Amino acid sequence: MVTVVVNGVRREIPSPADTPLLYVLRNDLELSGPQFGCGLAQCGACSVLLDGKEIRSCITPLSSASGKEVTTLEGLPARWAQQRGLSKADAEKTLHPVQQAWIEEQTPLCGFCQNGMMIKATELLEHVATPTVAQIKEAFTTSGPSPHLCRCGSYTAIMDAVQRAATVMAKGGK
Amino acid sequence: MTTPNEKPVNVFGASLTRRQLVKAGGALFVGFGFVGAGVGSKLAKAATTRNTLDPTLPSSWIEIHPDNTILIRTGKSDFGQGTTFTAYRQIVAEELSAPFEAVTTVVMGDTDRTPDGSGAFDFLGRGTPNIRKAAAYTYQALLDLASQRLGVPKGELSVKDGVVSGRGKRMSYGELVKGQQLKLTIPVTGSLTSPMGLTVTGNPPMKPVSEYTIIGKSYKNTVIASKVTAREQWATDVRLPGMLHARMVHPKTLGSTLVSVGALDKTRFPNAQVVVKGNLVGVLAPTEWEAIRAAQQVSAGTKWTDWRGLPGDASLFRHLRENADWKTAPLMKSDKTRGEIEPAMARAAKKLSATYEFSFLKHAPIGPTMALADAQADGTVHVYTHNQNPQALRGELAQMLGIGIGQIIVRSFPGPGHYGRSNGGNAGAEDEAVILSKAVGKPVRVQWMRDEDFQWSTQSPAALADVQIGLDASGKMLAYQVDHYMPAMQDDRPVGAILAGLPTMDPPNEKGDFISSTANSLQDPWIYDGVSVLAERGHGTYQIGQKESPLTIGIRDHSMRTPGQFQQNYPRELAISEAAALAGADAIQFRIDHATEDRAIGVLKAVRDASGWQTRTSPVRNAASAGDPAVRGRGVSVMFRSGSYWACVCEIAVTPATGAIRVEKYTIAVDPGIVVNPMQLKRQVEGGAVMGISHALLEEAKFDQSSITARDWLSYPILKMADIPEIQVVLLNRPEVGAYGGGSEAANALAAPAIAAALHDATGKIARRLPLKPEYVRTLFKA
Repeated sequence: MVTVVVNGVRREIPSPADTPLLYVLRNDLELSGPQFGCGLAQCGACSVLLDGKEIRSCITPLSSASGKEVTTLEGLPARWAQQRGLSKADAEKTLHPVQQAWIEEQTPLCGFCQNGMMIKATELLEHVATPTVAQIKEAFTTSGPSPHLCRCGSYTAIMDAVQRAATVMAKGGK
Repeated sequence: MTTPNEKPVNVFGASLTRRQLVKAGGALFVGFGFVGAGVGSKLAKAATTRNTLDPTLPSSWIEIHPDNTILIRTGKSDFGQGTTFTAYRQIVAEELSAPFEAVTTVVMGDTDRTPDGSGAFDFLGRGTPNIRKAAAYTYQALLDLASQRLGVPKGELSVKDGVVSGRGKRMSYGELVKGQQLKLTIPVTGSLTSPMGLTVTGNPPMKPVSEYTIIGKSYKNTVIASKVTAREQWATDVRLPGMLHARMVHPKTLGSTLVSVGALDKTRFPNAQVVVKGNLVGVLAPTEWEAIRAAQQVSAGTKWTDWRGLPGDASLFRHLRENADWKTAPLMKSDKTRGEIEPAMARAAKKLSATYEFSFLKHAPIGPTMALADAQADGTVHVYTHNQNPQALRGELAQMLGIGIGQIIVRSFPGPGHYGRSNGGNAGAEDEAVILSKAVGKPVRVQWMRDEDFQWSTQSPAALADVQIGLDASGKMLAYQVDHYMPAMQDDRPVGAILAGLPTMDPPNEKGDFISSTANSLQDPWIYDGVSVLAERGHGTYQIGQKESPLTIGIRDHSMRTPGQFQQNYPRELAISEAAALAGADAIQFRIDHATEDRAIGVLKAVRDASGWQTRTSPVRNAASAGDPAVRGRGVSVMFRSGSYWACVCEIAVTPATGAIRVEKYTIAVDPGIVVNPMQLKRQVEGGAVMGISHALLEEAKFDQSSITARDWLSYPILKMADIPEIQVVLLNRPEVGAYGGGSEAANALAAPAIAAALHDATGKIARRLPLKPEYVRTLFKA
C-alpha cells in the first residue's frame, strides 16, 4: 500500500508500487485530467505537479510519489484557492486563473494535450510571475523532461493564455 | 394511438403534420424522409432495424421544447474544430431567429442518436450544411404553425428572439409547440453508413445574409470550459463494469504472419489471458499495468515470419517512378484541362520543367488510438470511441461480424484529433476491441501504445509531380502542365479485421468508388485562369506493399487534413513561384496577373498588404548559400478549398552552414465568404499554420523494407513551441458571397510551398522535396 496525497486528499493505493502514476490516477482514482499520450515522457499530456514540480506521470512509478503531494488538473482550483486564502464558498466558484485564461482565449483545439499545458503553465507562473515570450517558449520547450507537444498547433493560443493568466495572477486573481 | 387531425402542410417540399393535442410536454420534432427510389429503398430497410433513427418517427435533427430551448443533432463529431458547438448553434439560431443561448444541447456522432452520418470534415458544407437546411425547413414550419394559431397570414409574421409576432399578437416557439405532437418530414438523399452519409435536399428559403445578427460573432465553444476543468468525459475515460484492458501484439512487419504465440507467464501475470485469431494477438487483463507488462512478455516470445517487401524510404521516389503500376488506375484530368500543350510549349520563350516530391506523413494524434467495445450476449455490440465517422465505422463493423447495422451502436466521445484518419470509419483500435470483446464475452478496452500508433496506422500518401510551365517573351504563362502521381489515398479497411481474417471491404483498387479507388483525382482547383492552355492529370496506383504483403497491408494510406490537395498544391505553388522568378516577376504580382477570380486576387492583395511584402523579383539581391550568417527570404502560396480562398506569406531565416530553416513570420489571409465565428476561425487558422510549418520542415514517415520505422516523437518530430514564428491571421469577411466556406483545412498545406519559395529567395537554391530538413538543404547548397 502506497500513500499519496492527491489534490489535498490522502489516498492509500493498493496497486503494485511499480505501476506508473498515470494509471493510478486514471484507473484507481478515476481522474480524467492527465492523459496517456506516449508513455515515454516525450509529450507532456500526462503531466501532474509532484510537490509543485511538473513531472510526467506516465513514467513515474507510484512508489516515487509515496508520501508526496500530487496536483492534477482537477486540483488546480483548490490549489489557487489555498494560495489566495479564499473562503470555502469563494473557492467553490473559482477556477484557477490558468483554466480561466484557457477559456477566455479559447485555447484548446482537440484539447488532448492541454492538461499538460495547463500544468506546465501553473508551474511556470508559480515561479515567474510575468514571464516574457522567450521564457514561456523556454518553459514549454526545453525546461522539462521533453517539450510539451501540441499536434493541433495551439502554441500561439497557449502563449496568449499564459500571458492573460499571468496578468490575472499578478493582480491576485482580480 | 394518435391520428393526424389535419392534412399535412407542404412546406417548400417538406411535409408538416400535426397530431392530436397532448396533455403535457409536446415538441416540434424535425424528422426526415427519403427521396430517390434506389437509395431510399436501401435506407428504408436499414432504418427499420434497431438503433437507427427511424425516418418515419418524429425525431431527428432539431427539437424545439416548450421551455423555448432547442436541441440539435448532427452525425459529425467534433475533432477540435469546435464547429458543432459554435457555428452549428449559430447557424440554427440564425435561421430560426432564436437566441444563440436557446440552443442548449448538441448531440453529435452517436449512431443511435444522430440522423445523418458522414464525417468530421466539411462541417460548413460549402455554405449549406445539413443542419442549416433542417433549420430553414423548421423555421418555415414554425411560421405555418404560428399563422394557424394566431390567425395571421404567414406573410405578415416576423420572428425575433424566438417569438413570432404579427397584427399585435405574439407567441414564443415554446408556446407554439406546447401540448402538440408535430412532425415535419424533410427530404434526404444518400446512404447512412457511406463516408459522405446523408444530405438534406430541397431548397427551403434561407434567411438573407443582410439580416444576420448571430453569424459573425465570436461565441465561445462551450466544450472548452468542460475540457479545461476536467469535467469532460473523454473516450479514454469511459469504463464499463467487468471491463478488461487489452494491449495488442502486432506483427513484426507489415507483411509478417504468425508462426507461434509466446507463452504467457501465469506466475507473473496470473490474471492475464491471450486471445489469438488468425494473425491478431491480444493480451487482456483486469488492470492496465498487468495488460501492458503481460503483452510485453508475450510479444517477446511470439514468432513471426520475416518480410521485406517495401522499397525503403531512401528509394521511395525511384520506386514510385520506376516500379509502381500507373497504368491500371483510370487516368484523371481536371475539369479545366484545355488547349493544345505541345504547340504552346513549343512557342515558349522560357520553360520550367521540374519534379516535386512529397514524403509520407503521419496523422500523429497526440494520443494513440483507443476504443472500448462491449459485445453482448444477445449479439449487440456497443463501441465507445473517438471517431470521425461513427456511422461508417458501424458499417465496417457490421461487415466484419456479418450482422446488421441495427445490432451495432457506436458512441462518439472527445479524444486526440487525428486529422482525417478515421473519416472513413476507423482509426485502428475499434475493430480489435470488438473482436477481443466477442472472444472473451466481456467489455474490452484496447489502447494502442505510441509505437503502434506510428507503425500500424495509416499515413498521408507520398506523391510526386512533374510540372512544365511555358512562358512567353513578356513573362506571361502560356501553358501549364502537371502530372500528379500518388498511391491510393483512402484505405478504410479495419486493420484488426484484416489480421483476424474477417470480412472487410476490398483494398483500394481501380474499380473502387471515388473514395476507395486507386485513381488519383484532381483536388487543387486551378485559379490562374489567365493561362489559356492547361493540362492537369492525375495518375494513381496501389498502396506500396499492398499487393506484395501476405497480409495485403503494406503502407496503408489515408486522407489527412487538406487531403490530396496538399500533395497537388505544393508542386503547383512552388512551380508558380519558380516561374515568376524565371519571368523576372514578383511572385505575388505574377499570381495576380494570371488570376481572374476576384476573391483569389483579393486574398493575395490582402496577404501582400498585411505582410508588408516588397514587390521585387526572387532571389533577393544578397542571396547566399554559403557561410555562417543567416540569410533571409520570403515566399507566397495560395489555394482555393471548400469555398474559401487562402494565401500565406512565409518569411524565413536560413543558416547556409547548417541548412537550418527558421520561419520568423507567417502571415495568412483567408476569405471564407461569410465569417461565422471570427475567434474560432482565427484559432483554427493559427493551428493549421503551425501544423503546416511542422509538415514542411520536419515531417516524414520513414520506413525500411519491412515496416514504418517512425515509433515515437524523436523519430517523428513535430514542431515545438520555441520554433513557432510570429503568426498574423487576416480574416476577410465577404457577406456578398452569401455562403460560408471551410476554415479548418488548407492552412496546414500552405506553408510548404511558401517556405520552399522563401528558401529559393534567400539562397538562390531550389528545394523540390519535402521535408526541408537541414541535411537535405545542405546537400542543395553543396550542389
